[in-house]
Amino acid sequence: MPEPFHILIAEDEVLAAMALEDFLTFRGFRVSVAANGVEAMERLARDPADALVTDLRMPKMDGHALIRAVREQDNNLPVVVMTGYLTQDSDLTHERWKPLEIFSKPVNPRTIYETLQRMLGPVPEPQDA
Amino acid sequence: MALGLDELLDTSGFIPHGVCLLWRPDILALHVGSDILIGLSYFSIPLALIYFVQRRRDLAFGWVAQLFALFIVACGSTHFLSVWTLWSADYVVEGVVKLITAFASLATAAALWWLMPRLLALPSPAQLERSNAALEREIAVRRQMELRYSSFFNNLAEALFIVEVRPDGQFVYEAINPALARATGLDAERLRGQPVDDALSPEVASAVLSRYVQCRDGGDSIDYEETLSLPVGERVFHTMLVPVKDADGRVIQILGSGRDVTERKRLQEEMVQTSKLATLGTLAAGMAHEMSQPLNVIRLWTENTLTRLREGVADAARTERALSLVIEQTERMAKLIDHVRAFGRRDGGGTQLFLPGDSVHNAIDLVRHQYSLENIEITTTSTTSGLPVSGRPLELEQVVLNLFSNARDAINAQRAAGRTSGRIMVAVVDDIDTHSTVIQVTDDGGGIAPAVLPQIFDPFFTTKEVGKGSGLGLSIGYGIIDRMGGRIEPHNIDLGGGRRGVRFTITLPSQPVPSRDWELSHA
Repeated sequence: MPEPFHILIAEDEVLAAMALEDFLTFRGFRVSVAANGVEAMERLARDPADALVTDLRMPKMDGHALIRAVREQDNNLPVVVMTGYLTQDSDLTHERWKPLEIFSKPVNPRTIYETLQRMLGPVPEPQDA
Repeated sequence: MALGLDELLDTSGFIPHGVCLLWRPDILALHVGSDILIGLSYFSIPLALIYFVQRRRDLAFGWVAQLFALFIVACGSTHFLSVWTLWSADYVVEGVVKLITAFASLATAAALWWLMPRLLALPSPAQLERSNAALEREIAVRRQMELRYSSFFNNLAEALFIVEVRPDGQFVYEAINPALARATGLDAERLRGQPVDDALSPEVASAVLSRYVQCRDGGDSIDYEETLSLPVGERVFHTMLVPVKDADGRVIQILGSGRDVTERKRLQEEMVQTSKLATLGTLAAGMAHEMSQPLNVIRLWTENTLTRLREGVADAARTERALSLVIEQTERMAKLIDHVRAFGRRDGGGTQLFLPGDSVHNAIDLVRHQYSLENIEITTTSTTSGLPVSGRPLELEQVVLNLFSNARDAINAQRAAGRTSGRIMVAVVDDIDTHSTVIQVTDDGGGIAPAVLPQIFDPFFTTKEVGKGSGLGLSIGYGIIDRMGGRIEPHNIDLGGGRRGVRFTITLPSQPVPSRDWELSHA
């Protein structure tokens, strides 16, 4: 039995994080939750994830800062962004942040799941792709 | 030796006076003519005198004129007797008449001297003329003044009225000016001399009487705003009362002036509304986030549950928990919507007793999350014992929100300049001694330049760039706090560690009502 993918959710709204955690776990992922960017970075350092699902507006360290920090370490980690609204000056749509997908709240957990599945693929892609 | 009257009048031994004149007809004629003329003249003068005294009843010392009349008649009689004694030697009779004349003369002379000081004191016609002229000038000046003041009273746009304060405690309208009649629709003629109770409708009378009593008992000028139901409709007046006191310091009259500020109030409320909408605009971004959160939770849990149902793996306990969560989130959203709806309402609710702390906490709840996302921390200290204030809770909330929004702008400006900043400290404290509640909002946003400090409450004054601030927030806030009978004051403060900021202190008068009573009445 292969090891399930490990998904890290960074979301300050506990009930939303719980719901997504519940759904993704039900679908067979191993899921961790962090309440903000700082917690997420700590978690990643301790327990590397296969994908990151993150909110943008969070206290302490927001989604933008988290994605920047993640990209400094790993250019291939799939990132799914859930946001209330994208500010005009956000450059997250830029190529350099890929692989990255953006969804507006309210999000459909099935869409998140399908996106993660597509980004992660049935077989891990070669690290030097 | 006693003589009888007959003996006394017996002049048979005497010779008539004409003998002395040797009966020379020319000398006789001279004496007789002169004496008769003098006698006739002397008899006519008293008639004239008595006639004069009779006609001039206001004459001082009229009895002196009568004395004169007697004296002159006596004098006249001696001249007639002089004629008589030319031919018949009735010298006794003549002597008696002279004696009478002597007494009358003496009495008149004595009376004249006795009266002299008082006669001298009588004003002369010239004096009277001078004083009359002076009086006429005085009257002219006073007429002119009266004309000027009545012109003021009648033509000023300010509504003026004069209330007489009677010793029995009654207040009576002495006069109201045409401006007041126009502004109120009351009839100036009908009001004159009317007690206030009779002149006005019972509600209006009781409202204005309480102010008159306050002015009379306080003995000082008062000014206030009042809303009155008048024949012209509901009007708001800014009224000033000035007491007029007598020598003993008792208030005998109240002078009142009033200005119809209904229109100004309406504009003011319009401005409050405009500023509220502006505040709403800045809140909209935050609201979008606040709404998207529960919506997201609802979507996630419903999809979650639906998926499990479709795949036949739903269990009742999990489904119930998910649906309960969904309901909770809809309630959270409903509350937000209610709040925004109430906030946007024109009147913002009626004036009522409320806890100022509640408004402050509602304001904090509205922005806390949004601000925390921007790493602005709002800390609170509250030591209020729950004394209510009077006003509109949502208006106070608007004032506090405006202070928060200014603080946040200042903090962001500090950060843009590379300085550490990011705290808003809120305190709500009761001051039992002054019966007031104090709300302090302090930020570490660098403070306000002392040069602009005096201007910050001016309408349309703003230090923010074009499009960032209307310049109305603080001026509206000032108006709201002022209407609540309170005040709002800014101070630059040093927070230590090189951090500086501004502290706004709002002081509101507490209402000394036991909290249980007003809670019941406002439940």
